[in-house]
Amino acid sequence: MTAEPLLEVSDLAKRFAARAGRDAPPWVIQGLSFAVKDGEFLTIIGPSGSGKTTLLNMIAQIDTASGGTVRFQSQSAPVGDPKALNPGLSCKIGYVTQEDNLLPWRTTLQNVLFPLKVQGRLNEKTRAHADALIRAVGLGGFERHYPHELSGGMRKRASLIRTLVYDPPVILMDEPFGALDAQTRTQLQEDLMRLWDLGRKTIIFVTHDIAEAIALGDRTLVLSRAPASIAGEHEIGIPRPRDIRGIMTHPDFSPLYQAIRAQVQ
Amino acid sequence: MTTTQGALEYTAEPRIRWRQHAVTFGRIAFALLLLAGWKIGADVAGPVYAADPVKVAQRIVEDTANGTLLRHIYVTVRLAAIGFAIGCFFGVALPFLLRLLPRLTNAVEPYIMASVGVPKYALIPLFILWFGIDDAPKLWLVGLLVFYPVFIAVFAGIRNVDARLVNMARVAGAGEVAIAREVVWNSLLPFFFASLKIALPRAVSAAIIGEFLVGNEGLGYLIEYSRQNFDTTGVFAGVVVATALVLVINAVLVWIDRRLSAWRPVERDMEL
Repeated sequence: MTAEPLLEVSDLAKRFAARAGRDAPPWVIQGLSFAVKDGEFLTIIGPSGSGKTTLLNMIAQIDTASGGTVRFQSQSAPVGDPKALNPGLSCKIGYVTQEDNLLPWRTTLQNVLFPLKVQGRLNEKTRAHADALIRAVGLGGFERHYPHELSGGMRKRASLIRTLVYDPPVILMDEPFGALDAQTRTQLQEDLMRLWDLGRKTIIFVTHDIAEAIALGDRTLVLSRAPASIAGEHEIGIPRPRDIRGIMTHPDFSPLYQAIRAQVQ
Repeated sequence: MTTTQGALEYTAEPRIRWRQHAVTFGRIAFALLLLAGWKIGADVAGPVYAADPVKVAQRIVEDTANGTLLRHIYVTVRLAAIGFAIGCFFGVALPFLLRLLPRLTNAVEPYIMASVGVPKYALIPLFILWFGIDDAPKLWLVGLLVFYPVFIAVFAGIRNVDARLVNMARVAGAGEVAIAREVVWNSLLPFFFASLKIALPRAVSAAIIGEFLVGNEGLGYLIEYSRQNFDTTGVFAGVVVATALVLVINAVLVWIDRRLSAWRPVERDMEL
């Protein structure tokens, strides 16, 4: 168990299909390799356009790789044939996307219960769990509101707990707090840390914010500019539980920040 | 946005309320103006060409009282409803089937789009030839006239579904049936209702035209029969009733649409 990583990406490559009459498109990702341990909080940082979302899409099996392999629990994702993909790997990998992707015609509660409903796991116990999550992220009282009646931060929270509610062992997060103001973002980071401390899931968290990558992660990978590969790797030794608001005053923070910033180009 | 508890109700400002009254008043005044214009026009044109609105109203009341009008309405509504149900069923089901077969869709799409151009009313003689003089030719006409707007709207609606929502649902464990029912269907509801606003009045029109030509009951028959007997009042009464019928159907449709799309942030007061 300990020897085999939970998720292993090796020599991954991706480029999108060419449009008729144009040159072959450039590689978005090339020669990307890394592994994730069970229960690890991995943060990935990279400049915009470095294929971070594409990488997560391939891990979640929404998109196929053009080369290399993605292995989850020793099973390789199919290469080349989009129809052979198994998005979410039978609910083992949850995905909190960059946009909240809430169903606009469903209320907050219905959106949060959606995965349980389609998985046929809606019962007293899971409902109670959903209720607890809704209250834990401060959405209590907004259960019957539609997404357009919520603020951006509330929509993010709803989309976050929609994934947490069905308890996938791995969760991918694609700049989930990217478009929020600093105050709301810190609040959500603290919520996420608190929830993660309860469950200790495996999380792959993509961000372009260096401070966020350090504050949340056990380990940070730095991606290069396209075609993306690993430009650097940093263990974050800051002990948990961490003080997110005061993280910058921790003695380890500044050297890490400098080292990562030097690699994010 | 975060302060109210669910229901968002605002009391209108006095100025706005006054304006709303002005609009209502204007509408009533305009209706009276139209009626007056009709009355004057009828007097000028003479009873052979245009019926007096008062006589039309009297005729409608009489025919309602003796039950003949309700029978004609029932026949037309029944025909329009069955034809509508058939056309609507295929108009919705076919795009959902084609969604699963993208290559077949690309192959047949030009033919479907070309068939839109066939004037359906021109096919009535063929329908009579093929399907006889009972309900069948009329149902074909109504069904086809309903099918096309629904099919085109639902087809476009399916293409318009947000792929990110579909991916989200797949990752969350939704199967194809759940995706079709939850994500695709709800995404295309606005398209579907827009098409119904075209298809429902068309269904009534097509039923009436079918009745002009075939059969001895229904509003279309009533209008044509009255014309043949130089009963202009009867023709006008039939047209008024047919118009009222379409308006009632539209009102029901708007009500259903409003209930089903209560979640939509805008367009709430933009109904037809």
